Amino acid sequence: MEFNLIIILVCSSFAGFLIFKEFKRNDKSKLIWRLVASVLMVACFALIIIPISYLVKKQEPAGVLNLLTAGTALDTIATIKETKYDLDSTLFPIRKNQKINHLADLAYYLKEHPTVKRINIYGYGLGENELKTLKDKQVSFHPSNVPSGVISASWQKKLKATESLKVEGVYYNGTKATVKLKLYGMGTSLDSVSVKPHAEFNFSFVNQPKQVGKAVFNLIALEGNDTLSVEPVPFEVELKQPIHILILASFPDFEYKFLKKWLYENQYAVALRSQISKNKYSTDFLNMKAVNVNQLNQSLLKKMDLVIIDEDELAAIPAADRASIYNAVDNGMGLIVRVTNPKPESSTSNFHQYEVPSAIEKPLSLRSSDQLKFSNLSFKQTIFLKPGVNNQALITDETGKIVVNSRLSGMGKILTSTFSSTYQWQLAGKQYDYSSFWSLLFAKSLRKKIESQSFTLVPQFPSVDEKTRLMLNLANGKIPNISIDSVKINPRQNMEIPSEWDGLYWSKNFGWKRLSINQKTENVYFYKKSDWKSAKSFVKLQHTANFVANNSFKATDGVEIEYLAKESMSKWWFFIGFLLTISFLWYEQRFLAKN
Amino acid sequence: MLKTEGKNWIAGFRNKWIALYFAQIFVLSIALAFISITIIAVFVFFSFQIWHLILAFILVFALFMVFKPTWKIGKTDVAKYLNSKFIQLEESAELFLKPKAELSLLEQFQAEKIEERFPIEKSLNEAWKKLLFCLAFLVITLIGVYLMEKYYWYEQISEVRFPLSNEKNSTKEVILPEIENFQLLITPPDYTSKTVRSQHQFTIKAEAGAQVSWNIEMNIRVKKLRIIFNDKEIVAMVNAGGLNWKYSKAIVQSGFYQIEFDGKKSDLYQIEMIPDLPVSIKIIQPKPHTTIDIGQLPKVNLTVSLHDDYGIADTYISATMASGKGEGVSFTEKKLSFNEGFKNKKDVNLSKLLDLKLLGMKPGDELYFFVNAMDNHGQSSRSDVYLVSIVDTAELMSMAGIANGVDLVPEYFRSQRQIIIDTEKLLKEQSTLSVDEFKNRSNNLGMDQKLLRLRYGKFLGEESETEIGGDHDHEEGGKPAEQKFGDVQALMDEYAHKHDIAEDATFFEPEMKMQLKAVLNEMWSSELRLRTYKTQEALPFEYKALRLLKDLQQKSRAYVAKTTIKTTRLKQEKRLSGELDKITEPSQKATFEQLDKSTDDLKILLAILERRKDGYAFNYGDREFLKIGEGQLILAAASQPTSYLSALKSLRKVGTANKLVIKDIDVVQKAIQKLLGIESSQPQAERVNPATGLYRSYFNHLKKMGK
Repeated sequence: MEFNLIIILVCSSFAGFLIFKEFKRNDKSKLIWRLVASVLMVACFALIIIPISYLVKKQEPAGVLNLLTAGTALDTIATIKETKYDLDSTLFPIRKNQKINHLADLAYYLKEHPTVKRINIYGYGLGENELKTLKDKQVSFHPSNVPSGVISASWQKKLKATESLKVEGVYYNGTKATVKLKLYGMGTSLDSVSVKPHAEFNFSFVNQPKQVGKAVFNLIALEGNDTLSVEPVPFEVELKQPIHILILASFPDFEYKFLKKWLYENQYAVALRSQISKNKYSTDFLNMKAVNVNQLNQSLLKKMDLVIIDEDELAAIPAADRASIYNAVDNGMGLIVRVTNPKPESSTSNFHQYEVPSAIEKPLSLRSSDQLKFSNLSFKQTIFLKPGVNNQALITDETGKIVVNSRLSGMGKILTSTFSSTYQWQLAGKQYDYSSFWSLLFAKSLRKKIESQSFTLVPQFPSVDEKTRLMLNLANGKIPNISIDSVKINPRQNMEIPSEWDGLYWSKNFGWKRLSINQKTENVYFYKKSDWKSAKSFVKLQHTANFVANNSFKATDGVEIEYLAKESMSKWWFFIGFLLTISFLWYEQRFLAKN
Repeated sequence: MLKTEGKNWIAGFRNKWIALYFAQIFVLSIALAFISITIIAVFVFFSFQIWHLILAFILVFALFMVFKPTWKIGKTDVAKYLNSKFIQLEESAELFLKPKAELSLLEQFQAEKIEERFPIEKSLNEAWKKLLFCLAFLVITLIGVYLMEKYYWYEQISEVRFPLSNEKNSTKEVILPEIENFQLLITPPDYTSKTVRSQHQFTIKAEAGAQVSWNIEMNIRVKKLRIIFNDKEIVAMVNAGGLNWKYSKAIVQSGFYQIEFDGKKSDLYQIEMIPDLPVSIKIIQPKPHTTIDIGQLPKVNLTVSLHDDYGIADTYISATMASGKGEGVSFTEKKLSFNEGFKNKKDVNLSKLLDLKLLGMKPGDELYFFVNAMDNHGQSSRSDVYLVSIVDTAELMSMAGIANGVDLVPEYFRSQRQIIIDTEKLLKEQSTLSVDEFKNRSNNLGMDQKLLRLRYGKFLGEESETEIGGDHDHEEGGKPAEQKFGDVQALMDEYAHKHDIAEDATFFEPEMKMQLKAVLNEMWSSELRLRTYKTQEALPFEYKALRLLKDLQQKSRAYVAKTTIKTTRLKQEKRLSGELDKITEPSQKATFEQLDKSTDDLKILLAILERRKDGYAFNYGDREFLKIGEGQLILAAASQPTSYLSALKSLRKVGTANKLVIKDIDVVQKAIQKLLGIESSQPQAERVNPATGLYRSYFNHLKKMGK
């Protein structure tokens, strides 16, 4: 306003000066004309600088709101004739030309204008919270194209020691060039893949992180040498957890010997009992205190995470011991039974094994159910397991015959393995295969570590200046004490499931933060607003589409309403006026004036 | 009386002239000495000492004295000179030198006349001018030498002389500001036949055994200048006068070093050793196993390609011949040389024709040979052992293996052998037979060969009538009866019409099948020649078929002899019924102590560095881990400087710098990851959400449902 005032002041003083000059002029024949032209000229000049607007009456169908959200194409905006609104004024920086009005708060606006019954949403759509406010409106959605970039991604936020990080997701390449997607971390490019133009690609990067503790890897999309996006992949690697294993052997063999050594060197607590004669046992206690293992009772098995036993031993131990083993399995303990006989030992312990006498010497190649392949062994496997109804095959041979099978039993799992020559891998120097074989078996059967609490953050990529909902799952029913970086969060209990709690948090800065729940600290990562943009947009797109599809509310077509709108006058008019007056003044002076 | 004045003046002039001359050559000698020293320095590098200059000066001065002995100038010469230079003397200067008595009257008058004109003014102008020129020359020389010393000395002079070998990989080095100038002279060992080179860079890349000498000029006085190798071996540099320091060392291993004085340490510099590899030998011809069949020339062409990084000194073939059989095998060794000089060439392609006859080999003998090469450093290397054998036809025809013991397919052998015998017989009788008769018999042999081939074809699962000739063997089945003598299978075949049997097809291993196929191939070729009456040409193929068959026979003969062991039956009821009360139960206890914690520490260090990336400063505990990591990297860098030295530098930078440089952290993390290597997985228990009674009862219910 001040600027306009200055212009008016300068212009009026200039006009005064011109008028004064006109009166002073000798030739007064066209004084009036000249005066009028001078004043008009200055006025036109001023109006070129100062915009002038006026109110007009307009008619529009009642209660339609055109809402532009991120991702709306500019040519789409041009086609919308009616008034347009946006929720984020930074989205369309050239909005002045497009005449987009800004809504500070959608819910507030809708309350203020109850006549709005229909809402057209353009672009990627709205978030879940905003969509909630549109429940009683008729919403139509004009989605933009799927954003180019990583549209969805997931990985483990917390890894166990030596576990591999798996970053999986979908990359949509909407550009005309091939995009290279790579996982980068700790100064090295760990894995990469290229995505063809105009294609959707399901990527999966696997890497075994080396560190213990927190780290942030990056998912980088490159087009040639141009970096399209750098998305952070934060995760954490935990320290090794102690495991207690009990091995019951009917006779000592290589398989046990190597397994024992391997567990011992990896610092796991192992108790090994192997029969040397009737009711006489040789016992080994590795990395643990000696306990009495002659009697298998509940209190002993409660401490164990896993029992490895062979079929003969399982048949030979007293019925009470056997019962307590099965009982312990029902309570969560793991059990691996090594099946070595082609025929079941007795009717009570039938593991559905069968023998395939093989005449052909063929290297044995095994694979796990999740397509992990093991190195070949020049060993003939003749005993296999029949698939059962409630069984899950873990490891099969090339032709699909089951070598390791598993089934649930209460809270625990029982694994049966007919493969008793894993030590051959060790002898062949293939330590890696040996480790991954047993790690797989152990991971599937070990007693699960029950945590006292767990949490999830909603949305998937909690960002700075965004509402983040923290959902807790607690073992005890007490009110938890939650804080993030010493900012206290007030918990709210789920009415239906009392063990569930939630709380809200707005992060001010990005990076790792310490979440403490009842004095137990966890690490959470908050993203920058610009991180995972395509994924966030894609989520919005889907949410809005789902909302529209499920929203059955139909509004009746309202009558047209009148309203006043501001229209500004084109500056060209003033420019023409300015040009005309100034040319008259010049012409008069040059040709018509008397000297 | 007056006359003596002129005489004295001339004598004085002479003395002055000589004195000025000495002054001239003195100045000139100094200048020339500087120039010659510089020129010598350009061509032969040495470190400059003051006595070098004095020596050069004396030499030049002496040369002047010898070649221009001005002091020998006599008075007469002076008089002549004066006459030629000054007109006012009117060619009469000599007159003053003559004894007075000898002067004629006229001469006396002339002398008196001239005498008045003494002393001549500016007579020494020319000498002074020369001296001035000499002085100017000296000044110019001194300025030139100074400029050269300042801007040209270490950098270019030596580089023109010894081109910088490390120019390409020269990286930007951080050099201590106290070091005014430095130069490294690398003298490669003799075997490389490389010339001395110098470099203006601390990073060393040198051949194994190369002598490296450091010449460092400081710009301040320091008490001690030391070099620290691999962060543990400290050596003091020798002061070579004033601010110059020197040290020399032979490079025998890779590593790194830094320069240290008064507690101030330089950046780390890399030493990369280029090892001398032994000669690589590639035998292009013949194949590892060569068999010389009957009819082939007993000659083998040997082609070898040799390569060494510096030069090959010598190469020879070591050949061992094995002759005889069983216990009577005898070996003879021979050293064959290539008739070629090597002259320390780097790449050599050699070929030699091994004439087996000339070596004294008979059919049935085998020749083992390998190529041995030595490089000029005295490292020898040898190729794999290659084998050439000459087939012994007599051995093939012998019945030794067949007459005794197990024989799987004897009748076929007899047939192939029979065909050979018959072919040879036919060839012998060729001259006595009519052409038709010969052709007929040859054709018959061809048919026999075909039958034999078809029978073998059966083993490969070939339908007996798939080959050319159609249904022939049914019609002609009876004819070659003499070859089928004792063939039970053939007799049985007459009563049963057998087609391809699936079991037959899988009876042999793939390798055996391949060999059988090769046999059939040879039989085909033999048959073709027999039927087209090229009987002589068929013979090599027949022999080859027989040899391959023999090999097959040897292969299938692996068996284990039957032994007669009787075991007594166990009495089941007695098992495990002994008294065990005195048997104690053994119990072992052990706890694994991990001695090397470095892996765990490095893993934590990775996370610490990751934290640093977020801008958090290191705390005291973090620094401990940094120290441990540094120790690990020093060890790694000492053995592999190319891979780890930059990481070590970066780690030190990261540890001390206040400013966060992510690039440095990346370098360190990369190196640590490399140090850690691949880790095999270890079992870990799964985690589950807090369990309540709900889950428990769900799972137990599930179990009941399953049953």
